[in-house]
Amino acid sequence: MVEKVKARVQELLASGKVKGFIGLRELHGHIGPYLFTDGGDLDGFVIGDRKAAGDTRYPLNTQLIMISRQYPEETLGVLVRGCDERGLKTLFNTNQLKPEKVVSVGIACPQELADVCECMKPFPEEFVAGEASEARPFGSVERIESIEIGERLKVWLGEFAKCIKCYGCRNICPMCYCPECTLEAKDFQAVGSIASENPIFHLTRALHMAGRCIDCGLCSEACPADIPLRTLYKKIADIVDLEFQYRPGYQDSKGKMSPNVLGEAAKH
Amino acid sequence: MMCSGMVSPDLILRALSKGADGVLVIGCHLGECHYLEGNYNAAKRVAVLKKLLAFAGVDPARLRVEWLSSAEAPTFVRVTSEFSEQIKALGPSPLKEVA
Repeated sequence: MVEKVKARVQELLASGKVKGFIGLRELHGHIGPYLFTDGGDLDGFVIGDRKAAGDTRYPLNTQLIMISRQYPEETLGVLVRGCDERGLKTLFNTNQLKPEKVVSVGIACPQELADVCECMKPFPEEFVAGEASEARPFGSVERIESIEIGERLKVWLGEFAKCIKCYGCRNICPMCYCPECTLEAKDFQAVGSIASENPIFHLTRALHMAGRCIDCGLCSEACPADIPLRTLYKKIADIVDLEFQYRPGYQDSKGKMSPNVLGEAAKH
Repeated sequence: MMCSGMVSPDLILRALSKGADGVLVIGCHLGECHYLEGNYNAAKRVAVLKKLLAFAGVDPARLRVEWLSSAEAPTFVRVTSEFSEQIKALGPSPLKEVA
């Protein structure tokens, strides 16, 4: 699988279609994001499978935004899974990246990874390696909703109480691109103190994921306290879909989203 | 607030966590926004936040949005009294115990 991806990246770099390619590289036993600039030197190029498929994922789109801002004239390539592609589309729609300056090289996730992730679309629209696996339903939203409303708060307060306010969920998030963050604004949150304000720290972050979260699950992976963040953000995505018929990243990649980002106002 | 569109949902959450038992957002009538779409933004945000509150275990009836102009004093009185009664019936916010 990795050889097919490497061949494609080599071709893109050699032909000059892209100035650089943001992918993953294994170095001294560790896998991390890497900017490849020479098609003839793809030593250590990996797709993030260390012990299991896709167990070493990174928010490569975040690196892409960072590098694109430094080199706005250059076209860059990036390795994408289904989730990363949803992220790219959303970043194009929110003017964080220019579609004409990005060339994505897609890989489809194997079924074992799609199962682990409970992914709704474990493949990008175009991919050079892998086969489209079956989507898996994500059941944890229903599990919360089966709890009586008065008890739900206790469940969430218990989960949020584990938070050590490391900001890991925000820092890993490929859709968190704001230069200023409400979670560090003293008018909205207690800043400079631990633990996080329960429950508004996490509910605020959940709100800010509305129309953004592409359900990559990196937040839940990063959380040292195992807070089921993805469940919360999945619900926000469901709410936005229900109210505004919009689910980030699942639209046609060519169709520019309406400037009225979240559609018509809800009826009351 | 100059406009209901300036009422950040973050502030609504903050009010609820700092002891407010309910939050009533009142904006100008839809279609009469001085800033064209401020109240539509408010409508969207409140709609999303109400559903998030329900998922988190807070009664969404604690948050309400209404459209009123400054020339509608009797309606203002009715709406606020009604909301106040409704919140009294719901009792203190469960978020108070946390704060």
